[in-house]
Amino acid sequence: MSYEVMVGNKAAATAVKLAKVQVASAFPITPQTTITQYLSEMYAAGEWDFDFVNVEGELTSQVVVQAASRTGARTFTCTSGPGLLYMHHPMVRTGGFRLPVVMAIVHRNTKGMQPDHSDLMSQQWTGWGHQYVEHAQEILDSLLMAYKVAEDPRIRIPIAVGYDGYVLSYTAEPVEIPAQEAVDEWLPPNKAIPSILPDEVDPSTFARGWGGGDPQMPWKTHHEAVMKIEDVLKDTMDSFEKTFGRRYGNGMIEPYKMDDAECAIIAMGTIAGTCKAAVDKMQAEGKKVGLIKLRSFIPFPVKDFQEWSKKLDGFAVVDRSICPGKGGPVFGKLRASLYDLEERPVTLQFHAGLGGKEVRVHDFEMIGDKILKAAKGGKVEQVTWV
Amino acid sequence: MIEIRLHGRGGQGAVTASRIIATAAYEEGKYSQAIPMYGTERRGAPLTAFVRIDDVRVRERELVHSPDISVVLDPLIAKEQAVVDQLKPGGLVLLNTAYAPEEVKLGGDFKVATVDATTIALETLGRPITNTAILGAFAKITGLLKVESIEKAIKKIFPGRLGDMNIAAIKRSYDEVKGPIQALVKDAPEQKVDIHVGGYGVLKDVSSWRVFTPEIDEEKCIGCKTCWIFCPETAIQWDEEKNKPWIRYEACKGCGVCANECPVDAIEMVRVEV
Repeated sequence: MSYEVMVGNKAAATAVKLAKVQVASAFPITPQTTITQYLSEMYAAGEWDFDFVNVEGELTSQVVVQAASRTGARTFTCTSGPGLLYMHHPMVRTGGFRLPVVMAIVHRNTKGMQPDHSDLMSQQWTGWGHQYVEHAQEILDSLLMAYKVAEDPRIRIPIAVGYDGYVLSYTAEPVEIPAQEAVDEWLPPNKAIPSILPDEVDPSTFARGWGGGDPQMPWKTHHEAVMKIEDVLKDTMDSFEKTFGRRYGNGMIEPYKMDDAECAIIAMGTIAGTCKAAVDKMQAEGKKVGLIKLRSFIPFPVKDFQEWSKKLDGFAVVDRSICPGKGGPVFGKLRASLYDLEERPVTLQFHAGLGGKEVRVHDFEMIGDKILKAAKGGKVEQVTWV
Repeated sequence: MIEIRLHGRGGQGAVTASRIIATAAYEEGKYSQAIPMYGTERRGAPLTAFVRIDDVRVRERELVHSPDISVVLDPLIAKEQAVVDQLKPGGLVLLNTAYAPEEVKLGGDFKVATVDATTIALETLGRPITNTAILGAFAKITGLLKVESIEKAIKKIFPGRLGDMNIAAIKRSYDEVKGPIQALVKDAPEQKVDIHVGGYGVLKDVSSWRVFTPEIDEEKCIGCKTCWIFCPETAIQWDEEKNKPWIRYEACKGCGVCANECPVDAIEMVRVEV
């Protein structure tokens, strides 16, 4: 185990090295670029035996790792914003083939350069697991866990781990680097080699052919596999803690100072860190509001939020992306999760950090005050643009 | 928590300086965070970076809005009141300038220290990259970090001879820094200049970006138009009557491409007097 003050993108490249990825392919795009630089340097220095495939665009990088993954290789790719949109088509195939590809998304919004979650949120239908992380240590740890989850024989599913560009990708902070031997033992080589036979020949295959059968079947099995990420991720978090001594809640959510809280702010990514500083301040002032950091958006932690609903009076949902005409994706999904409950906490929607707008500690204090007021029956507008 | 803001220009290494400070702080057992502010930053453009140092892991991710310490790596930016904007009362500003702290015109309730980091950098590194040349002064006047920790951090980031040269720069700035003294100007003068230039240079006044200014010797010039073709900012204009170039200095960021390309060495880069 060692330490280094490193930027978020180097934490990602370090995880790739520790996981002994066999095939990596990526096309540089700001703010992801330096991951490809670090990987190229590691390749040039011969730090471990892997192939780095230079490509002419993001679409091809996804196809390269898809093909490599079909042979059983452990693979990695990464992109940002518009690059991810360009990758959309082959991502659907990677998901459909149930290939355990792991990808880092360095968030960049789809209208400009600065970060929000609109890039990864636009890929909800590709059939990947979608995770959002807060700080550089969590990037490294989550990418290692992503391989363990993706390659689990119960699911075999690609995972995308997203973190905010600039504010995290280029911010340097102390990161603990686990020993290579410990990672080797915890994360043995990939054994999730998928069948590539047509499904008429091998029903266990996920490389569905064109030979008839029930056309809905691949969607059903795919959906069920993605839903199972929840159990596998929770198991993985337990075993990760046992080996490396760190954990992030149960993997799906990470509650922060929720013991005496009456209301929770729900946030994802770097702004959850800023929210922690705000929660510290508010609780010191006697305000009973905590944070539930959402780590897994797909699958959504429906059961966890239903459990928390029993103890809480209100949820303030902070969405860092919006589907125009439809609203904040986390807010919509949270409310759907609570529908079956007889008693539901108050829910408020906050739009914050879109287009890279800075979200400050005092913004979260305002959010905390609003949800506490709404939970006590006070009149508060339901939707706020922070 | 100590919050630091660094002002510099693209190419002076403000971002690297922020990482060296963060690494050195961690060497001393503290938690740290180094944040660059990213926009359309590039060589010559004013930019800002931030550092937080604390005894516990730093959680917040907002930019630093009210720093305890402001460090200015550029002598022209060091003249702008904006570098002490929002500085905490009683804070500290370290300027790269040849002037003594008593001569500094910035006003308000803060302490001032100065060091001629550009000269130190030119003499030790051969280039006006002032980031390491100011860190020795930083260690001495803030007392936040030991100069040994900064040297250790530099060796991690610049191994080999480059590291030794940078350490030489640090040692000189440690010895040569003047101050800190309480700022002599009590009332903050009106802040006239926004040091951040958005967008690209063609339509903006970027004259303050220059460390060196190109000067054309019309006697030597043969009118070949090479400089006119190569200028990346279209700062070189053509006088059709004389068949000679002239420089639109507000658009010139002092990159030196023209002087480098001139086949008869008719353009000389002259260090800007500050």
